[in-house]
Order: sequence, then C-alpha cells, then structure tokens
Amino acid sequence: MLLEAMNVDAFYGDLQALHGVTLHVDAAESVALVGANGAGKTTFLRCIAGLAEQKSGAIYFDGSNIAGLPAETIARLGIVLAPEGRMLFPSLTVEENLLMGGLSRRRGYWDLQRVYQLFPLLAERRVQMPNTLSGGQQGLVAIGRALMANPSLLLCDEISLGLAPVAIDQIYASFARIRDEGTAIVLVEQDVKRASSATNRIYCLLEGRVTLQGVSQEINAEKLTRAYFGT
Amino acid sequence: MVWVETIINGVLLGGLYGLFGVGLALVFGVTRIVNIMHGEFIALSAFIALGISGLFPDVHPLLLILPVVVVSFALGYALQALLVNRSMRFPDPLAPLLLTFGLSVIVRNLMIEGFGVNPRTIRQGDFGRLSVDVFGIHIGVLPLATLALAIVLFIALQLVLRRTEIGRIVRATADNSEVVRLMGVRPSSVYNIVMGLSFALAGVAGLMLALRTTFTPFSGVERLLISFEVVVMGGLGSFWGAMLGGIALGVAQLIGLRLNSNSGFLYANLVFLAFIMLRPNGLFGART
Repeated sequence: MLLEAMNVDAFYGDLQALHGVTLHVDAAESVALVGANGAGKTTFLRCIAGLAEQKSGAIYFDGSNIAGLPAETIARLGIVLAPEGRMLFPSLTVEENLLMGGLSRRRGYWDLQRVYQLFPLLAERRVQMPNTLSGGQQGLVAIGRALMANPSLLLCDEISLGLAPVAIDQIYASFARIRDEGTAIVLVEQDVKRASSATNRIYCLLEGRVTLQGVSQEINAEKLTRAYFGT
Repeated sequence: MVWVETIINGVLLGGLYGLFGVGLALVFGVTRIVNIMHGEFIALSAFIALGISGLFPDVHPLLLILPVVVVSFALGYALQALLVNRSMRFPDPLAPLLLTFGLSVIVRNLMIEGFGVNPRTIRQGDFGRLSVDVFGIHIGVLPLATLALAIVLFIALQLVLRRTEIGRIVRATADNSEVVRLMGVRPSSVYNIVMGLSFALAGVAGLMLALRTTFTPFSGVERLLISFEVVVMGGLGSFWGAMLGGIALGVAQLIGLRLNSNSGFLYANLVFLAFIMLRPNGLFGART
C-alpha cells in the first residue's frame, strides 16, 4: 500500500470539515475522489499534502506516518499536489514554472524534455507567461510542474474545472501515460462519469464522510447518486 | 551652469537614495513586511564600516564594501531566522511591523549607548574630496562612484532574480508562498536570504552615506522617510522605479537647498506629495 489515511479529521476553526476519513491508494493505482461542493475533497488532499493546519489521524506513506510533517518535507518524499485553480506562478515563464517543480531533485523518468514530449505545446510556449495561456494550457503546465518532481503519488485537485472538453480529454489522456511511469494518481473530480471511467477505484465524500467506495467499473449508479447527494 | 551642476549632483545623490530604498522594496516585495528598522541598519552599517576602517586604516574606503556586505548579509539573515520569521506566524499582519519598529528603537538606543551622539566620520584621505571637471562642472568622484555602484548593484540584483535558480525561487515565493511548499521549498528559508540581501544593500548604502558625510546613530531614522518615499514612488516592489524615485527626490532636495539653504528635505517631501497625488500607483506599480 502506497498511501493509507486512517480516521482523518480536519477543522477550520470550530467547523469540522472531515470526519474520520479512511482511504488507501496502491502503487501506480488511480483513485477518484468525488463529491459535491463542500464535501471535503480539497481539504482531504490538503491534509495529505501537509497544508491543512488543524487535523488529526494517521497518514501512512511508504510505511511511515507523515501526518505531522510540513508540506515541504512531504513534497520531497514524493507526494505532489496539483492544487485547485492550477496556481501557476504568474511572474515566472512556463519553463520556469516547470523548473520549480523539479526543485526537489527526485530522480526518475520525468524531466523537462520528457514533459515537453508529453505536452509538445508547452515547448512552443516555454518563454510565455502563464496568464497568456488558455485555461487548458495552464492545466498542462500545472500537471507538467507536478511531474517534474517525479512523484510516486500525484494529487490532482479539480484540474479540469472550467476547461473545454478537448482540453479535458488531453489531460485525461496524459494520466494513462503518467501511471505507466509508476505514479499513482488521486483525482478530485466533480464529473462522476469521467472520474469513474478514468480510475480503478472511487471514493465518494459527503459532508466530510466517506459515503461510498468501490471499484470504479462496478459501482452502481443509483447508489453513487445517493452517496453523492445524501438522499 | 550652477543649476546644471545642482541637477547633476541631485541625480548622483539619487543613486544613494535608490540604494536606501531598494532593500526595503525587495523585502516588501517578497515577504510583504514593512521593515521599519531599515533606517537603523543603514546607520549601524556606517558604524560597522567605521569599525572596520579603524582596523585597516590604510585600505581604500571603497574596499570596505566587501566586509560590510558580508557582515550585513549575515546580520539580516540571522535577524530573519531568529525573530522575524516567528513574528510572521501570527495571523495578524501587524506583528512583523511592530517587531521591526521595536527593534529599531532598541538598536538606535544601543548605538547611542555604544557610540554616543557626536557626529563621526570615516577617515579616507583625499578620496572624499576628489572631483572631476566636465565642461567646467565640478562633479565629485565619491557621488559618481555611489551612483555607479548603485546601478551595478541594481543590475546584479536583477540578474540574480531573473537568471538564477535562487532568483526563480524568490520570485515564485513572492507570487505564492503556499504553493512553493508543494515544490519542497521552505518559505522561511527564502525570507532569510531575502532579508540578508536587503541588509547587504542597506549596508552598502550606509557605507556610502558614511563616506559622504558625518553620521550619528540618528542618521538612519532621518532617512527612513526618504527610503519609504523612494519605494512608494517606484511602485511597491519595483527596483528601477526605486532608483528613478531616488533620483527625483535627490534633484528636488538639492534644488530646494539652492533656493533656500535651510529647507532640508522639505522640497523632496513636497515632490513626493505631489507625486502620490498624480500617480498613486508609482512609476511602475500596477500590481496590487
């Protein structure tokens, strides 16, 4: 087991955002995390990445508990979060953004050349500033930047939100390639259909609790709807 | 001819003012901290330079830059690592401001305690009085060297920020200090380096001030206002803007002094006042 989160609680002040979330990810597996707005998906990814400030529970990664470690240490261990809203650095060029991802100096398949092979368009735009790119192209930069760290676990937070269908297709196509190189993926996604067709397993969150989990292909649509909306 | 000379001297003085401001602009741009003790540090580096020149009396005054830069960088780095980073953990953004304000009072009074309030000078042979004649205009070599040094340092700073990995990390941290953590960067380590650089620049400014004129423990705080005005005129976070702002203030001050030798910083401050009414975002400031 690559990642095992057990009974994770998270708080924003007095508000409890996660209630005992338990989830695991195997090596090179892809897992979808679906749920309505405010279900706690982003909060959960922030807990794993070390950005959540108030949390409890245990998070095992490669066999050791990382729950108390700061985000920068977790990143160096090989968990990389591609955050919601892409969060590229606006004063850095496309290539400089990618190079930021490579700072942890983890060895592996991915480097600047390989990212440009995966997304040839970025090579053409390497000296441009991110805000001159379309949303879909920015999404590619965000994924490329995350890959530069050669993560063993890639967390993607609504990477396709607000993008054109063509751009989303390109991003999902790249996920297969990424997993072939040994990176496990956790996808936070609002589009349940897309999420279940692109992943091995699926977890559904509702109001900070896991309401359903199972193999993506076998999941019952009616059950999933109930788990999603809580009806 | 007198006026041309005044304007040229104002431009040269502006180089010094630009140096005062650029460290402040750097720290604000990256950490969003308004460093009130910047002025004290300019004065302190003048005393550091005095101490070093006392140890090596035969060394050319401009060579003092190297030890002053090293000592200043170390002090700035240590200050950020030991104190300012802690204050930045408070949710209230006023905490670092209050910290630097308190430190400025402490450091100023320690300097008064240690060095007294009598004006000091760095003995430097004839260097401070050298001048060149260009078309009958006297231009001091020291002010000229100050402006040249300021320009060299600005270009160097720009190159470091644009072309090196550490510069890239500094810019990314200024953009988003949370997201850089996802790349394995600890923002507080970046802040240490930035404060060190800021102090190194203030150290050079303090040295050039000390070579130019007499100084006391109050020499820094008297120029803090100028430093802030330079930063605001340039547009917060803009280095070349800070340089141009410094030049505008330097020219205004010297013209003012020629009109009325008792006016001090009055005309420079009036120019600043007019400026913020006309261009509240600064010369290059569009970012908020």
